[in-house]
Amino acid sequence: MNNPFFMNFSQLLDLPVIDAEGCRIGVFYDFSMSLNNDIYTRASGIIVRRGFWRRQYALLPISGVVLAGQQFRLTGQSVGPAFSSGRVECEFALRRDVLDQQVVDVENRKVVRVNDVHLLKVDHQFHIAHVDVGARALVRRLGWETAVDALVRFLFPRSDYLTLEELISWKNSQVLTLGSQKNVLKLDVARAKLAKIPPTELAEIMGDLDVFEQASLFRSLAFDVQLKVFADMTADDKVGLIEQLEDVEAVQLVSKIPSDEAADFLISLPKVRMHQLLRLMESQSSRRLRALLGFRKDSAGGLMATEYLSLRSDARVADAMAKVRGNVDYPGNLNTIYIVDQAGKYLGTTTIRRFINEPPERPVRETCHPQKVFVRTDDGMEEVALLLEQYKYYAIPVLDENDMLVGSITVDDVMEELIALAWGKYKDQL
Amino acid sequence: MKWLDRIKQHPAWIKTVLFLSIMGPGIITANVDNDAGGVTTYSLAGAHFGYSLFWSFIPITISLVIVQEMCARMAVATGKGLADLIRENFGVKPTFYLMLALLLVNLGNVMAEFAGIAASMEIFGISKYFSVPLTALFVWILIVRGTYKLVERVFLFACLFYISYLVSGVMARPDWGDVARQTIAPQIDWSLPYVVMLVGIVGTTIAPWMQFYQQSSIVEKGVAREDYRMVRLDVIIGCVIAPVVAFFITMACAATIFQAGIRVETAKDAALALAPFAGEHATWLFAIGLFVASMFAAAILPLSTSYSVCEGMGWDAGVDRRFEEAPQFFGLYTGMIVIGAGTVLIPRFPLLDVMYISQVGNGILLPVILIFMLRLINDRRIMGDFVNSRLFNIIAWLTVGVVILLTLMMVAFMLFYHG
Repeated sequence: MNNPFFMNFSQLLDLPVIDAEGCRIGVFYDFSMSLNNDIYTRASGIIVRRGFWRRQYALLPISGVVLAGQQFRLTGQSVGPAFSSGRVECEFALRRDVLDQQVVDVENRKVVRVNDVHLLKVDHQFHIAHVDVGARALVRRLGWETAVDALVRFLFPRSDYLTLEELISWKNSQVLTLGSQKNVLKLDVARAKLAKIPPTELAEIMGDLDVFEQASLFRSLAFDVQLKVFADMTADDKVGLIEQLEDVEAVQLVSKIPSDEAADFLISLPKVRMHQLLRLMESQSSRRLRALLGFRKDSAGGLMATEYLSLRSDARVADAMAKVRGNVDYPGNLNTIYIVDQAGKYLGTTTIRRFINEPPERPVRETCHPQKVFVRTDDGMEEVALLLEQYKYYAIPVLDENDMLVGSITVDDVMEELIALAWGKYKDQL
Repeated sequence: MKWLDRIKQHPAWIKTVLFLSIMGPGIITANVDNDAGGVTTYSLAGAHFGYSLFWSFIPITISLVIVQEMCARMAVATGKGLADLIRENFGVKPTFYLMLALLLVNLGNVMAEFAGIAASMEIFGISKYFSVPLTALFVWILIVRGTYKLVERVFLFACLFYISYLVSGVMARPDWGDVARQTIAPQIDWSLPYVVMLVGIVGTTIAPWMQFYQQSSIVEKGVAREDYRMVRLDVIIGCVIAPVVAFFITMACAATIFQAGIRVETAKDAALALAPFAGEHATWLFAIGLFVASMFAAAILPLSTSYSVCEGMGWDAGVDRRFEEAPQFFGLYTGMIVIGAGTVLIPRFPLLDVMYISQVGNGILLPVILIFMLRLINDRRIMGDFVNSRLFNIIAWLTVGVVILLTLMMVAFMLFYHG
């Protein structure tokens, strides 16, 4: 019996568990799973249930149990296991966290419900090989497999039903457990699995999940992926997610997304939560966001991002190149550099295209656009759009009443608002 | 426009806007509750027993609020539908049989809805071979081709048609003093038909599909936990309006048909019998109400059932998917409408028997679902801080106990009567 073979988890459920003397101590209820970096997660113990009206559970290490035919037998001469009436506390259990729950099918990029789990048994070790999402697994769980198989074979001998196996390799499935527990799988395994899915699609998958599952999935992503996924989520999903995240996680996230998006997002949160997050954020980014939140959403002040590249008026082209190179990771606009004086007063705008072929020693101010094109914080969105279109700029600076540079609006910020507007009108016509 | 901005920033205004955006699921669910089966039961209650059953609407309203509030709370706390929760916490077997029962019972209800459409249109002299297929097609297109927002708006608008029952009730010129007396200090008559009717009212007012539908549609709206109070308001408003409408239906029939001692057996009979007392218009209003209610329910019931079954079985579902993406969902939805509308058109189909069996099924299913619900809602692992308080639990279990007792009585009586 040492050859590896596959079996269905559902067929193990409720098998009798007997001790070394052959006395029945209960029935098999669940596997607790080990949390190491195995790709095919291994069972670390079995959970035994006894009693019917007053159910009790006990956890036994897998090393002390063998599966012999249609029963589990304890090998050691150990004293009887300690039963207790509550559920057994373990980090990850197969029945509780996988069977009948939803998992992300990483290969096909969708959320599916697990009808059964396919186990691989090697030397008394049980590994999760696949999760079964097929109709046949459903029928098997209901106990009608023989009857339904015979019927289908009789009526439609060539039916897909008899041969089609809808198995998803464990390697390609990501568990989403209830939010009260932290993510159950080791992070690097989860990350490797999820790295196959582009962030946009992950954001869509998030839309299919409830808030707890969202938080669980989100936590298992690498931080840079988290930022991208967050940006692509719908406004409602964002709010739901932030509520589930710890303060530290939320603050980290909000302070790393572009400030205009952060402001839009913060304003959609309940007031209390918004102030709470602002308080916790580092003072500088929090101050910027506070300023942004003071502007109307459709004014230049509300549209702008407070991250932009700027240089002093005495900087040279070499400094500008260094600035661009040093900010490759920066999420915002890299094309445009604003020139300001000592006090932060706006002097002009230059772009990579204008200085990239200039000698390094030339003052960068000389490469600026001849006209100063800018908007004020209280200008409307229409004005911003008109100017961007008129001068074919990718970004436009935003000045306050004292001509100080306070932010920058890029075409995509305006596009987003315009699309919403156009879409609204389009929908009204329907 | 300074004053406009002032209004826009006023907390009351913000709250109102928030409520309007959240409003819908509770009110719609409760109103669909006054469907063809409901209207029939209420009008017969009035026609056979006069004002003497009026008192029952007060405890029924309380129970309805309690049951539906629990669903709303589960929706907001877990973000999952009821079928999802049952599957995840009780496994595949209970879910499958529960869903099978729900499907069969609701199929019977859908037949009743199309029968209601046929009856109400016949009052206006429109043949059922014309009205039923046309309504079935309309309902199907509305759901399959429309967006959820559109569908919800159409339904909220349809709720206004229930005012027609209120007008019918007033046009019937009831003796208001007597109405008040009988509601507050009833003279309960514990005869067998009276009890059967009482149980019938409870059974049609608190129907199993309502819990599944309301929970799923709140989940679909994606309401945040902070806004739960708004959801509760929506649910309570709905659960109060529905019995009030039912009350007026009963009153219209009690003030006229019962007083005159006429014997009626269907909602159509009742509508026609109103004419000599309250005028042609009362009949028309009654018929329009019946038509809208039936159509409304004929759209919602198959939708809610397909959603629940697909949720529980783990199949893709949603009106915004393509047929190939969610074949089971569209198959179930279309199948229920086709079968429901089709059977009404078959001559000599034992429709009354089927409707009767489905009502018994409703009665058997309800306590089962309520027990599942109470077990879920008291599980802190699932609900977090949204679990029932002790007082609420006492009231809820009491409600469940009474509902179970009454439905058991109904089933027993119905079998007894029928046999």
